[in-house]
Amino acid sequence: MTEKNTPLLDELEKGKWPSFVTEIKRAAVKSEAAGELLQVLERSYKERRGHWKHGGIVGVRGYGGGVIGRYVDEPQTYPNVAEFHTVRLLQPSGWFYNTKTLRTVCDIWEKYGSGLTNMHGSTGDIILLGCKTEHIQPIFDEFSDAGFDLGGSGSCLRTPNCCVGPGRCEHACYDTLEACYNITNEFMDELHRPMWPYKSKIKFSGCANDCTSSIARSDCSVIGTWRDTLRIDQEAVKEYAAKINIKAAVCDKCPTSCLTFNAETQELSVVGEDCTRCMHCINVMPKAIQPGKEKGATILIGGKSTIVQSAFMSWVIVPFMKMEAEDDFAEFKDLMRRIWEWWDEHGKSRERIGETIYRLGMTKFLNGIEVAPVPQMVFRPRANPYVFWNQDDLDRSGTALDGSKL
Amino acid sequence: MVFKMARGPADPEVKAKVLEYLGKVQKAKSRDVAVAIGASKSDVDNAVKELTAEDLVEYLYITTTFICLKGKVQTPD
Ligand code: HEM
Ligand code: SF4
Ligand code: SF4
Repeated sequence: MTEKNTPLLDELEKGKWPSFVTEIKRAAVKSEAAGELLQVLERSYKERRGHWKHGGIVGVRGYGGGVIGRYVDEPQTYPNVAEFHTVRLLQPSGWFYNTKTLRTVCDIWEKYGSGLTNMHGSTGDIILLGCKTEHIQPIFDEFSDAGFDLGGSGSCLRTPNCCVGPGRCEHACYDTLEACYNITNEFMDELHRPMWPYKSKIKFSGCANDCTSSIARSDCSVIGTWRDTLRIDQEAVKEYAAKINIKAAVCDKCPTSCLTFNAETQELSVVGEDCTRCMHCINVMPKAIQPGKEKGATILIGGKSTIVQSAFMSWVIVPFMKMEAEDDFAEFKDLMRRIWEWWDEHGKSRERIGETIYRLGMTKFLNGIEVAPVPQMVFRPRANPYVFWNQDDLDRSGTALDGSKL
Repeated sequence: MVFKMARGPADPEVKAKVLEYLGKVQKAKSRDVAVAIGASKSDVDNAVKELTAEDLVEYLYITTTFICLKGKVQTPD
């Protein structure tokens, strides 16, 4: 018998905040596996060493992902968590459920698994923690009958994820919920059958606040934006002027210094073509400033956490793409296919697309996917020594190569 | 379970070559299989999709996803 006391974990139950230890203890009333999980964790805290292994073959027939193999390293001591696999279920866009659906998820999971859930992982999925190998197929079958499907794991398209977007947020520049749902359905093969050098993730954020952290945590970030000029309601600006220091809180913090507040007339003006659509002014004065009317998304590529190379943020490859109608989604899907094909052909094993681009160069990548370079792809294009301008372009812009006025 | 066959049925010849190649190795990435048997990557992906549904091939995750003949590779220690 293993020691049942968990003095170190018990410390994590103290205080006013929720405690995962309390929750696992609750699950342990019904599940021996959940009880043993606590024992393993207590031991890890004591020894400062993990006791889990992962990988191998766990999946359902015809699928290469969705279940992640977890094994304890001392199965004799902890037989109930000898196999303790993680199941990922594709979440609904925006994580909207009714209580009946939540009950269905939990009932199926309590029948076969530990009862422990993580709603939701940073991957976006519904994460079900801890089941035995023999139960994977029945779990899948029951969830499938209830209308659910598995999410992604392994070298495939990882579960696409979106912010709540127009479901609850006034900032949304496109319908992230619809885009995520539509595009996920298109790429079911890519999601379920890992065929690539490594994983690839798409995240949809409705605006540059990027609530899904897409720019750092996805290979392809689809970030809402607008291509005309933001809209300012001068009456509402006056109301803000009575409450906040607009110059200090808004104008001085605009990254491209394109906002001016006239203290005399109490009016705010913007140089539209200099605005990088960062959302700062809108966040501070949402009643007075809103995005323009021509909304869509910027497509970026290459974000990832540290693997072969250090962490990357994604790069702009399409400054503006409409994201409203089926045709717009078709354009996006077509772009993704070209991108994945290029990466699949040139990427090394365990290389994320950002790393392949880093190794081979953006020029090769853009040529490969047939996208023309544009100034929006680089930070401060005129100051970037890696972008070479033709004299023709400069003549038209009125600026000479040395920066002087023509 | 019915699988959506996005690219139509797989080429039986490619399927046979994939099985033959996987018989000679422990595990492989699909791209390496395509190069080895001289088929296009998407034809191999399509063949693998059917072979996994037929329970002849399975996916294996060891730091990245590989494919192997069903039952050939045991879960690593
Ligand atoms: C019983 C054992 C394990 C459990 C219960 C577990 C649980 C979890 C959970 C709940 C998450 C999601 C966190 C989130 O997205 O909010 C997660 C993420 C992760 N796990 Fe584990 N894990 C286990 C073992 C392992 C092992 C053995 C590894 C690696 C060798 C691992 C690597 C990771 C990584 C890299 C992530 C990050 C994914 C992301 O940020 O989306 N885990 N794990
Ligand atoms: S990313 Fe923008 S649109 Fe989406 S929830 Fe956050 S603030 Fe709202
Ligand atoms: S959105 Fe950002 S860049 Fe544009 S005007 Fe507002 S603060 Fe400046």
